[in-house]
Amino acid sequence: MNPLVLEVLVVSLGIALLMVEAFSPKPDKRLLAWIGMAGLATVFVLTFFVGTVPPGSPTAAFYTADSFAIFFKRFALVSTILVLAMSIDYLPVVARFVPSEREGGGLGEFLALPVLTCAGLMWMASAADFISIFVSLELVTISFYVLVAYMRRSNAGLEAGTKYLILGALSTGFVVYGITWIFGMTGQTNLRAISEVVTGGYPAANIPALLFGVGLVIIALGFKVAAFPFQFWVPDVYQGAPTPITAFLSVGSKAAGFVVLLRVLEPFSAVPAIWEKLSAVLAVVAGATLIYGNLAAIPQQNLKRLLSYSSVGHAGYLLMAVASIGAVLPGREAWPAIGFYLAAYLLMTFLAFFVLAVAGGDEISHFNGLARRAPWLAAALLVSMISLAGIPFTAGFLGKLLLFDVALSAGNYVLVGIGVLTVACGFYFYLRVVGAMYWQPVPDGAAPIRVSVTAKVAMALLAVLIFVLGVFPQPVLSLLD
Amino acid sequence: MEVSLAHYLAVSGLLFAIGMAGVLLRRNILVIFMCLELMLNAANLSLVAFTRFHLVDGLPNFNAQVLVFFIITVAAAEVAVGLAIIVALFRKMQTTHVEDLNSLKF
Repeated sequence: MNPLVLEVLVVSLGIALLMVEAFSPKPDKRLLAWIGMAGLATVFVLTFFVGTVPPGSPTAAFYTADSFAIFFKRFALVSTILVLAMSIDYLPVVARFVPSEREGGGLGEFLALPVLTCAGLMWMASAADFISIFVSLELVTISFYVLVAYMRRSNAGLEAGTKYLILGALSTGFVVYGITWIFGMTGQTNLRAISEVVTGGYPAANIPALLFGVGLVIIALGFKVAAFPFQFWVPDVYQGAPTPITAFLSVGSKAAGFVVLLRVLEPFSAVPAIWEKLSAVLAVVAGATLIYGNLAAIPQQNLKRLLSYSSVGHAGYLLMAVASIGAVLPGREAWPAIGFYLAAYLLMTFLAFFVLAVAGGDEISHFNGLARRAPWLAAALLVSMISLAGIPFTAGFLGKLLLFDVALSAGNYVLVGIGVLTVACGFYFYLRVVGAMYWQPVPDGAAPIRVSVTAKVAMALLAVLIFVLGVFPQPVLSLLD
Repeated sequence: MEVSLAHYLAVSGLLFAIGMAGVLLRRNILVIFMCLELMLNAANLSLVAFTRFHLVDGLPNFNAQVLVFFIITVAAAEVAVGLAIIVALFRKMQTTHVEDLNSLKF
């Protein structure tokens, strides 16, 4: 079976959801989420049965289905399923901020758009040509504009949406202009063709202009993965967006950004004259991202904002590995570590956002004494926080270990030093949340927290997987080789 | 005077710079949005110029010209969504100025 079928199925599912929304008289929109989740789960199963793209076919020029691409297709499907599961409980909040004349009006798109975004993420994982990179990137970005600004009676939501719109469009401008210059200097838009051009005696006079193009593309992807100094939109957008969408942005959009970054850098990492400059820039960006993300998280009083800075910090660890690609780790040797870290990041981030979505408030003080009000919920957040901080036997610890190993074998000792220091920083602010839950008194008049069965199942599964992957990572690593 | 690739690239670079300066300096979201479109058009201009001046066997690389059409289409989609968000913002807050977007701070 041609792997392109997967994306076609996901797009059809998204359109089908919109049709159901348009023609079904039922005001209960949870049905849409269930259809979406079932459909995506089916596609997830199908990913195990797809073949490869036949080389030389018209598809192969812009689409690749290597094991890395298939892994990130599954990654996108799992995150979208989790987003839909989270949205089921979050729908009443969205309904309060969406004007509608009848009950349940204007909510269907909130459940259909993530499915279409998922198709974009899956295409990004497979994109092998700058045209397909651009189009899939925009499919994701434009769907996210709508989703972030979805709650249009909330000032914070609209403000977040506008900020994301302007900065997202700015990064589109950068990526397009960067692609233009890469095309102008190589005469190709296909990554494999570009690789042939730059490795086969590329004239040194053209390198500055080529670096200008690649630099612009890196800036644009820096926006997507939230790397310093392009991270300034992150806290505001994460705080203002609906919580399931924040989780989706933080996991799906970041992972897809890293996949595209790795694919775009692959042709250039084989050319020392180009790569020594690029890897130096990437190392500086990685160090700055690590320091900024972890230091700025310390004074935060809002858990959503804290997670947004933590998301910046985690981008730093990943960039540290990206900057370590080169002579010691040529080609794709560092890719499995990055893929595993993103998988661990998915588990722990979604777990934290699930707790956020059901707890009904994002200030850290809102979680005071949660261990006495809702012990299981507190335990779930505890697991997520210790994994984000990187305590042994969790997936987050093992992921960090793999990334540090990559950076050490490439000899990036300064970056590793910064990384270790910032991990210590991370312990402080992640465990502050744990402290609030376990050692602060319950505030007066705290309402009881109701957790739906869907959320309970999802949270239990994520928490168990964090520990399973923390001691037994082979299943994920074997998918990535 | 013969118009060469460098002329097109200079105009395109100028357009890009004007667009970026507008995004950074202007305070009205609608003007910022127009400047963003300018940046995309700068890229279109240089893409077309590069294909026109890099002929292989007398033919341009059509991939890049197809990319231009994709950029135009995506820009249209972006404007449709973007203007809808700006209209929603204006209805809620009666403003299109970036200074008024300051409720999210820590």
